[in-house]
Amino acid sequence: MVIPVETATITVTVDGRPYTATVEARKTLADFLREECGLTGTHLGCEHGVCGACTVLLNDSAVRSCLTFAIQADGQEVMTVEGLAAPDGTLHPIQQAFWENHALQCAFCTSGFLMTTYAFLKENPNPSEEEIRETLTGNICRCTGYQNIVAAVADAAARLRGEKHTQPVGGV
Amino acid sequence: MSAPIATRPQFAGQRIKRLEDPRFLTGHGQYVADIQLSGTVHVAFVRSNYAHAHIKGINAEEARKDPRCFAVLTGAELAQAKVFLPGAQNAPLPALAIDEVCYVGQPICAVVATDRYAAEDLAETIEVNYDPLPAVVDTLAATQPNAPKANLAFPTPGNVFFHMEHATDGIDDLFADPQVVVVRQTFRTQRQTGMPMETRGIVASWEPGTASLTVYAATQMPHGLRDTLAAALHLSQSKVRVISPDVGGGFGMKAPVYPEDVVVSFLAQQLGRPVKWISDRREGILADTHARDGLHIAEAAFSKDGLFLGLRDHMISPAGAYPLGLSGAVAETVLATLVLPGPYKVQQYAWQIDGVLTNTTPTGTYRGVWGPAATWVQEGMIERAARQLGIDRVEIRLKNMVRKEEFPYHSVAGVVYDPGSYQESLQLAMEKIGYAGFEEERRQAAAQGRTLGLGIACFIEPTAMGVMGDEPLTVPNDVASIRIEPSGQVIAQVGISSHGQGHETTVAQLIADQLGVDVQNVTVLHGDTAAVPYGGGTGGSRSITIGGGAAILAAQELRQKVLQIAGHLLEAAPEDLEIADSTIQVKGVPGRTVTLAQVAQTAYMLPQKLPQGVEPGLEATKRYTPPPITFSNGCHAAVVEIDRATGAVKVLRYVVVEDCGKMVNPMIVEGQITGGVAQGVGSAFLEQLVYDENGQLMTTTWMDYLMPESTDAPKVDFGHIETPSQNPGGMKGMGESSLIASPTALVSAVEDALGVWVGALPLTPQRVLALAEGRQEDAGA
Ligand code: FES
Ligand code: FES
Repeated sequence: MVIPVETATITVTVDGRPYTATVEARKTLADFLREECGLTGTHLGCEHGVCGACTVLLNDSAVRSCLTFAIQADGQEVMTVEGLAAPDGTLHPIQQAFWENHALQCAFCTSGFLMTTYAFLKENPNPSEEEIRETLTGNICRCTGYQNIVAAVADAAARLRGEKHTQPVGGV
Repeated sequence: MSAPIATRPQFAGQRIKRLEDPRFLTGHGQYVADIQLSGTVHVAFVRSNYAHAHIKGINAEEARKDPRCFAVLTGAELAQAKVFLPGAQNAPLPALAIDEVCYVGQPICAVVATDRYAAEDLAETIEVNYDPLPAVVDTLAATQPNAPKANLAFPTPGNVFFHMEHATDGIDDLFADPQVVVVRQTFRTQRQTGMPMETRGIVASWEPGTASLTVYAATQMPHGLRDTLAAALHLSQSKVRVISPDVGGGFGMKAPVYPEDVVVSFLAQQLGRPVKWISDRREGILADTHARDGLHIAEAAFSKDGLFLGLRDHMISPAGAYPLGLSGAVAETVLATLVLPGPYKVQQYAWQIDGVLTNTTPTGTYRGVWGPAATWVQEGMIERAARQLGIDRVEIRLKNMVRKEEFPYHSVAGVVYDPGSYQESLQLAMEKIGYAGFEEERRQAAAQGRTLGLGIACFIEPTAMGVMGDEPLTVPNDVASIRIEPSGQVIAQVGISSHGQGHETTVAQLIADQLGVDVQNVTVLHGDTAAVPYGGGTGGSRSITIGGGAAILAAQELRQKVLQIAGHLLEAAPEDLEIADSTIQVKGVPGRTVTLAQVAQTAYMLPQKLPQGVEPGLEATKRYTPPPITFSNGCHAAVVEIDRATGAVKVLRYVVVEDCGKMVNPMIVEGQITGGVAQGVGSAFLEQLVYDENGQLMTTTWMDYLMPESTDAPKVDFGHIETPSQNPGGMKGMGESSLIASPTALVSAVEDALGVWVGALPLTPQRVLALAEGRQEDAGA
């Protein structure tokens, strides 16, 4: 039995640029981003909705792109980790805070944490440590033990509130 | 060492931000799943549904007819091509099962299709006809005389495939002496797996023109994988190139060579096009090496005044159905024998090992390997003796520890402990955790109905293994090849292979100090067998000590040459020169300088200006072989609170004192430790791979296998002691200590809180409740 596969032609705006492709209805948004858009910064850690590595923003809300079908994003706006830094390459304050706080080791989880943090700090610009830890339970990191990620999120929040000067990229 | 450290370290010892991070932060890391070669086809595996069965037949007709199908490969076809997975001598794991499957998840057949979705569709159409056989899952049950054989191809009495034992003279007399106090405990660790966030994966590409294979793989040991694939496919090592791109964590699980590596590489060769396999999480949990799941039946003899006189341990450890690579049954036990006495001056010592085949996934190495259980045993014995003898827990440890003036110390296990800070680390940890005031704190908490406990785990970590025997089993050294380019930029090629450890930064720090350049001017290349000299990769806490040691030696050699050439150009003696900011200057004469770029250009392009006898070029390769073992040491301490209503354990304070010699980058050292402590929380309270009695693995998602989350991990408070080693730069390894000590510290805190003994992990809330209610369910397991 050859399994019949339904397809659809969709257009998704990713990091401000429209991508049109004909995809199988079952194709996940994660695979669409990685394979059709060539944006491999979105990673897959579990493909069953637990680890948050695949987190992207769909119309400004954090979603798990492994549990979202590409066709659900048809006509919508997606933001990925590749869309965080400024067009001139200047890191986003969240990226800068993760760097300076050593919040990444193997970095496989990092994109998901950055996107979760981006959405979280929009909602809650001044979170307590407890709120940060609570929010981050949706993302798994095997390397860091979270301590530096929690510190980075607090630091990023301070930077975004304008309380801490964001240092230029490239300094030691 | 050959030359003293020539410059005052400017970078080593500093919290330098990682040079590799910008690519990761912007989503531009290149992991194996991100490698997209044109014409790639994708593999899915058909895996055994049975823990033990004969394969009567495989029907892949439907898959073969499908237009999306490129190939279906079975074990019989591989055997015909004489392709096998080299390594395990006494029970080799076939790359694809031939007529017997021995664990759930064992690969039987591979199907290649246009994309991963199609490959998985087709895998589902393949019918395997099984004839079930009796399976044995529990390790102890497997050793019973009438137990079924786990692996009919390799039947052994009691399924024991590996046995070793050793005893010092006089140990029986010691334990029979009525004057000594004997404490006993069986310690059982649960089955776990390393579980890096990135699953395994491989892309293999065959180039017909050169008859050579290029493999991208998420591996910790690129040269090891290259050698094994060359042997498996009967290719010369020069025709196989392995590239380990960015790797999303390993923790020991990505050290071995797996059946899938051989199958995918063979398929690429057969099909003449790139073939890709990215494991999904479920099949990873089924087929990645499992770990731990060991049994330590231990007893210890103490004098009445608390001297740790003797230790006996019978270790029983499962290999799964086949020993794969460095089997967990061997690695967790044989290596444990070297360190079971821990930081204590034990005099009599005996051990026995039984490695057992069961119908479970093969076991292998997971961070800490033998260490977590060995630490649990030695600390568990000390704790039991302290309570039984009425001696203070810290006092009894201090009394038995190797003291500063006793190093180098020859342990009863036959290894030499290089200088460390055993007592000092314990004392500092107790100070930081508030040991002196803890009884008062506990009383006050108890008055409010709260239950607190304090846990202690002193540890030694054997790191950076050098020459351990006469078999060529591991690479006991590593290499750095450093070039200064005509621009003055430095490129280092190293045999260690980072998968999160930050070597692109730490190795650059070491080199920058020697060469007087900015750390940003040093590029560290690793993980490509075509680009770097033969190396041992990363594992066993070897990298910064051995690979970093090689980098220091090579950079020192280059520095001498730079000074020699610069001295010639400046008409000064090399001893009168100094290097800073990529400029060589006559000491105290600011005007008399030459840049590193000028020296390099002279070395490559103006050989006539070189001093006599100096070879053109500015490059050096050095290999460093460390002593057999370099020991790190330290102490973890935890204060926990037990919720007597729910059985939940909350970590209130957590202290780590680490002595890993000279730290190259304390920020990275601390990051390694916080990560390992979180994994220790997983080991102590959360993680467990559970089989049912038929050998079905019940925990194949992260809904069932509980990974430590941000609310589980404690905030770690650090103390650092630096006792330099004899290695260049004074470093010791430290990648595993955090997971070696943390499960014991946490368990010890629960024991202290509830006044019980724990003999099995993990301490789930149900078990904590049972213990809290006085149901002593498992003392002795
Ligand atoms: S990959 Fe989507 S949640 Fe894990
Ligand atoms: S940095 Fe490796 S999983 Fe988070």
